[in-house]
Amino acid sequence: MIIKKLKLIIIFTLLCFSSIVIGLTDTNKPIEINALMPAPFADSTERLVEQFNQENKGKIHLTVTRGPRETESVSDMAISSMILGNSPIDILLIDVTWLPKYAATGWISPLDEWVNDEDIKSIISGARQGNSYKNREFRWPLVADIGLLYWRKDLMQEPPKTPDALIKISKKLQNEGLVKYGYVWQGRQYEGLSCVYLEVLKGFGGDWLDNSNQFRLDEKSSIKATNWLRELITSEVSPKAVTNFSEPEALQIFETGDSAFMRNWPYAWAELQKPTSSVKDKVGVTTMVADTNQTPTATLGSWGFSILKNSNNKDAAWKAISYLTSEQAQKELFLKYGYTPTKAKLFNDIEMLEMSPILPELEKALQISEPRPKTPIYAQLSDVLQRELSAVLTGQKDPQKAMISAQVSSENILKSAGELRS
Amino acid sequence: MIFLFAPAALFLILVFVLPLIRYCWISVHALSVITNLEMIPNYGANWIRLYNDQRFWQDSFQTIRFTVTSVSLEILFAIAIALLLDQRWRGRGVVRALTILPWALPTTVMALGWRWIFNTPHGPIEQIISLLGFESINILSNPNIAWIATVIGDVWKTTPFIALILLAGLQSIPNDLYEAFRLEGGSSRQALFNITIPLLKQYLLIGILFRTAQAFGVFDLIQIMTGGGPASSTESLALYAYLNAMRFLDFGYSATIMLGSFILLVFSCLLAWLIFNQIKKIQL
Repeated sequence: MIIKKLKLIIIFTLLCFSSIVIGLTDTNKPIEINALMPAPFADSTERLVEQFNQENKGKIHLTVTRGPRETESVSDMAISSMILGNSPIDILLIDVTWLPKYAATGWISPLDEWVNDEDIKSIISGARQGNSYKNREFRWPLVADIGLLYWRKDLMQEPPKTPDALIKISKKLQNEGLVKYGYVWQGRQYEGLSCVYLEVLKGFGGDWLDNSNQFRLDEKSSIKATNWLRELITSEVSPKAVTNFSEPEALQIFETGDSAFMRNWPYAWAELQKPTSSVKDKVGVTTMVADTNQTPTATLGSWGFSILKNSNNKDAAWKAISYLTSEQAQKELFLKYGYTPTKAKLFNDIEMLEMSPILPELEKALQISEPRPKTPIYAQLSDVLQRELSAVLTGQKDPQKAMISAQVSSENILKSAGELRS
Repeated sequence: MIFLFAPAALFLILVFVLPLIRYCWISVHALSVITNLEMIPNYGANWIRLYNDQRFWQDSFQTIRFTVTSVSLEILFAIAIALLLDQRWRGRGVVRALTILPWALPTTVMALGWRWIFNTPHGPIEQIISLLGFESINILSNPNIAWIATVIGDVWKTTPFIALILLAGLQSIPNDLYEAFRLEGGSSRQALFNITIPLLKQYLLIGILFRTAQAFGVFDLIQIMTGGGPASSTESLALYAYLNAMRFLDFGYSATIMLGSFILLVFSCLLAWLIFNQIKKIQL
């Protein structure tokens, strides 16, 4: 018995030693870098990553960790790994709203060393936003995302430009029995609701957190915007169930031809062109409605790469990032997966324009895109707004009361944050 | 003696006592994105905030409502199922195995399933309602009834767990008792209330305590079915603590919420145990 055990121990130690020795002597080992991306991005960049590894054989090897599908779960995973300090991840693909939080905690590293003004100019203006914190770049954009209004070309000549027109056209089509619903959007209590609201709010001339760090949620324009969203439900232009809709639910109704309008992100376009869609070739894309003398707004939601502070191979990581976000790579991602590019040049690319008739619309929407408030406590502010909006949409609270209480709670959050900092 | 239970004690200290002490320590500090994740003592400010936090009390109410409703329903259904599965009939083995199925499924999967079942207008429940000619009820969008949907999801999933415990209890009751009872002229109904239920009491208590503790910390089911909405009407304490830690990066306050809900849970379990003992006394 004992001899057997001793034998096992000896073999085990020998194995350990030999693997260490092999590890030390192998000087040609490439630099290992690891990137965490949400599952859909990990899948779509698979070929590009393979190509990158091929080109840098023996020098750099990039591995992609396939994160969860749902956006916020990726954030949970990243945060858990960063809290522990010694994260195995070098590159993180992050959403636009996470940036201030991660930059403030010092989890991600500024990109000054690698990015110059020339590089920044190569990016389309809308996508230049949301990459910096306190005037330093922390993120390099891979794909732009903007809120769009999808409309049915077979039911109307032109899409509505104002909130009133949207309701009017919807009602007419509903009365004629051509569609069951007028407009589907994201009314569930989650981040999507804040995105929807920002567009409507700006469309009515309001603002959430303005440039001088003042909240403007209790102003007339904000209450008007809230009222309009509520009216969509009470007038039955939107189904009551919209208050539990996220993107898939809205898309599902629009795809079956049950609705005249839908608010969604660019990814929906490709879904609507699939053979299973009953509205294939019947859909147009435009920007969100806005009151008569206001300019329309598209909420900016984009993804980009950041390098973690603790990474030991930042140069290699940057090399991988610039490869994955190159014009060639973005073009491939657009043609294959419909990812909106961020490089300005690509919006004039003939091959891409031929492939997709909505590219000019995307460019237009990007020019009017607005990021959500850029502060490390954004998640709290958004949570407060979502709660109050959800209470209004489900008929629990009067719009004015809800917006005043959102204003007060937001101010309190900001105040306690400011007090702690000083 | 000490030598014998040292491993168990060490294990308990590592997984239970140490984290609890750490939580207490964090809860008297500011530790958030605003403090650059450094611990700064704030002398009970978190606890004052908790006490004045309406949302904490609303979530406490909602968590207790969820726990009491789902555990009571589960006990009722579980007794019925356990009695049925204890009888001898053809195909019992297959049915027993099938009964365990909901419990064996990952919560995430079945919560997504329920979300689609309750979906308006494409979910089967709404379809049936509209086929019958009633007006749609928008279960998951209605703040007054959305929580019932989460209870249904929970009852469906965890009833088998209690049924399993009760079934074990039923099989420990010797058949002689029933035979003797019948010889004396007792009816089946009398046997249920005079033999079965009293002898099952210990098992019921285990089931109730287990499930109360579990339901009190409900997270995944609600996160997936409603995300705490609409209008936060289904948000549980665990969800609120999670939001504070992972979304707002406010670990100090999150720890305070968890400790607050832990205290509530201890009180609830104590209360449940006291009530249970009272009932026991009355019946005996």
